[in-house]
Amino acid sequence: MSDISTAAIPAPKRPALKSHRFGFLLNLTLLALLVVLWLALSVSTRSFATFGNFENLLRQDSMWSIMAVGQTFVIITAGIDLSVGAVVGLTSTVIAMLLAGGVPIWASIVITLLIGGLLGAINAFGIVNLRLPPFIMTLATMTALRSFGLLITDGQTIGGLPLKFILFSSHRTLGIPNLFIIVILIAVPCYFLLHRSRWGRYLFAVGSNPEAARLSGVSVNRTIYLAYIVSALLASVVGVLVASRIGIGIATTGQGWELQSIASSVIGGTSLFGAVGTVIGPLLGAMLLTTINNGANLMNVNPFWQGIITGLLIIVIVYFDQLRRRKTR
Amino acid sequence: MDNPAPRPPTDAPILELRQVDKRFLGTHALKQVDLAFRQGEIHAIVGENGAGKSTLIKILTGAHVRSAGTILWQGREVALASPLDAISLGINAVHQEVVLCSHLTVAANIFLGDERTNAGLLRDRAMVAEAQRLLDDLGFDLRADAVLGDLAIGQQQLVATARAAARGVKFLIFDEPTAYLTRQDTDKLFRLIRRLNGEGVTIVYISHRMEEIFQLADRVSVLRDGQKVATHVVAETNERELIRDMVARTIEEVHYKEAIPAGDVLLEVTGLSGPGFRDVSLTVRRGEVVGLYGLVGAGRSEFVQCLFGRTKRSAGQVKLRGEPVTIHHESDAIARGIALVPESRRDQGLCLNMGVGFNLNLPVFGRISPTGLVDTGAERRGAAKQIADLRIVAASAGVPAATLSGGNQQKIVVGKWLNHGAELFIFDEPTVGVDVGTKVEIYKVFASLLKAGAGIILISSYLPEVYDLSDRLHVFSRGTIVASHDAKSAHPETILTEAIGV
Ligand SMILES: Nc1ncnc2c1ncn2[C@@H]1O[C@H](COP(=O)(O)OP(=O)(O)OP(=O)(O)O)[C@@H](O)[C@H]1O
Ligand SMILES: [Mg+2]
Repeated sequence: MSDISTAAIPAPKRPALKSHRFGFLLNLTLLALLVVLWLALSVSTRSFATFGNFENLLRQDSMWSIMAVGQTFVIITAGIDLSVGAVVGLTSTVIAMLLAGGVPIWASIVITLLIGGLLGAINAFGIVNLRLPPFIMTLATMTALRSFGLLITDGQTIGGLPLKFILFSSHRTLGIPNLFIIVILIAVPCYFLLHRSRWGRYLFAVGSNPEAARLSGVSVNRTIYLAYIVSALLASVVGVLVASRIGIGIATTGQGWELQSIASSVIGGTSLFGAVGTVIGPLLGAMLLTTINNGANLMNVNPFWQGIITGLLIIVIVYFDQLRRRKTR
Repeated sequence: MDNPAPRPPTDAPILELRQVDKRFLGTHALKQVDLAFRQGEIHAIVGENGAGKSTLIKILTGAHVRSAGTILWQGREVALASPLDAISLGINAVHQEVVLCSHLTVAANIFLGDERTNAGLLRDRAMVAEAQRLLDDLGFDLRADAVLGDLAIGQQQLVATARAAARGVKFLIFDEPTAYLTRQDTDKLFRLIRRLNGEGVTIVYISHRMEEIFQLADRVSVLRDGQKVATHVVAETNERELIRDMVARTIEEVHYKEAIPAGDVLLEVTGLSGPGFRDVSLTVRRGEVVGLYGLVGAGRSEFVQCLFGRTKRSAGQVKLRGEPVTIHHESDAIARGIALVPESRRDQGLCLNMGVGFNLNLPVFGRISPTGLVDTGAERRGAAKQIADLRIVAASAGVPAATLSGGNQQKIVVGKWLNHGAELFIFDEPTVGVDVGTKVEIYKVFASLLKAGAGIILISSYLPEVYDLSDRLHVFSRGTIVASHDAKSAHPETILTEAIGV
């Protein structure tokens, strides 16, 4: 329902992008929550506020952040990508096999990312051309890709990666861990793609009303391809990074990360109904989840509690976000 | 009635359909339609609900692909296989249901698919400014940076119109554009249509409101049952002839009302305030229609939403059958015999993917499943009765509501409360998109409800309708009642002026 002032009385011309304001408010809240958590952890544990731990935090965060951004692209189109965790697992084994087989580092990375993009295209093919629901299609690829990774490695760990490749993830540039630099290198173009380019606009349009997008001459199919390719491509970047970080290829890597990425995205204000989301939101959401994880470890909280804490946090944050949205409507 | 500006007379068709045919699963929606639109004319299309008007439009805009037949654009055969094909020829449409993105801003919707960019980056500010200029220029009182979903349906329809007009069109189709518009906005729309037409744009105009056809159009084609039955020059035909062509039977009177004696007071509202409206007082007696007239956004819908328990009241009292009641929730309202036929049938009135029969029975499933199991016989009978009484055109009671024509969807929304047997009926724009024949059916339904002792609150932006039907008429403006009249005691122009609030 409209409010009466916009209809009957000529409204003053002030910028009032309500949906943008919501995103901004939520992000501020998340940031504040993070700072509070960090302060609390610094006071209550001796090891949190150390340089080593902070670096560790950033490294773990970078994995989930990158995946959460990709997931957000998909969720904005009112879809879901359950396969990202499996893509991480498969691509990390693929790059390990390539490197162990003596393929140059740059070529291994390029091939792995191409495979990642291809996996996204397969998801999109199922959703667009075969008209399968995203949940089903990505559930199927999640299951299949996980098995495929185990199949090609015969369930074995792959070692013997070049030292240069392994060291990348533990080094820093200008004092910042390399892994976190990758987050920035990815987040910035993603921001422009999502919020400043017409392709980004089409992602929102498709998530909001695909029929309206289609009748406007927008290629809904291409837009959906874009979303799933971005998501899988970013997951394969994480696959490369995780292989560098742990120094081996294991096909089971990234199990459950699809849910982490969805949780980060939703905590960051993305609506599972589509058409609502930002790039910065999932970055903050992922950082929050990483901090809770890290803090719980440091405080010797029973690790079984972590899932419960994360679950409650999702409910509380999304509940308050919904509440505010409804009030202002 | 003003005459359209003189245009260069031309008989050359800009767009021609030959033997165009469209089949959906189980429905033959268009049957070998031959139709030629002349360059620069305003061509109206009329027909009953389900006659195939919207289907025809969707084929012209590439939204549906025809099953057979050829289409010529300026004498050359064209494929029209996708919306992009149509857009690139300069064919645009304002569709019957608002198809825009509710999460995007007005400006983003206007430029969707045609964004202004600079080195690949969106020029959002420039687009907002340009859209605002366009809206101001058209006289639409809207903000380009508002989020579309925050606007009322009528306002969204205006955005759709602005959008179509913005796209360098040669051929512009309006599918029932005035259904959700107020008189004031309708006038603006007509001015816009005449202006575009004066600039050489060919216009196709679909409406169930006959007077609009006679005001606007040069020629009019009639569809019946998917077939084109006639094309008339508007100046050489009349309403009676058109209706006869449309329905192939005669309809006694378009605005139908029986005198029914008023009974005791059913509803008494005093000083009710809530979100979007304030200080509303009115009474509804049994056997009485109380009309609420006003511009879109004047607070009428907000008032009835509150009455129905969807929003909280902040002040005032509601008495039902003489007893003070507090309605916290829709289910309270329904249990107390209040039925709301909402304004937005797609969002609020229908489960679009579910069957026609399912929708018709939705309010009564509790009653027809006393053991917890649904009495499928009662379900079938309830659906069949309304389908027959309201003449709902559907392949069967099982087909999804989404596949019905707009008017037939509206009949379902009304029909489901008739099954329920409520006593106080709130109709929010009940005849939007409903053809003349069905309108009479719905008015007859009103009469039978009233005779059975029910009371009706009727919201309509269509002044002739509220004016003719209401026993008492309250005029809303800016959230409150600004005037009240007994049946036909005021001149329609007075009422309009009160509603605009000048
Ligand atoms: N997508 C669809 N699938 C199946 N049947 C459809 C579909 N769209 C329309 N129809 C059927 O085609 C017929 C024509 O519908 P259409 O919407 O063109 O009618 P209309 O003349 O626009 O009616 P109204 O005045 O009610 O808007 C109807 O019987 C309708 O049920
Ligand atoms: Mg129609």
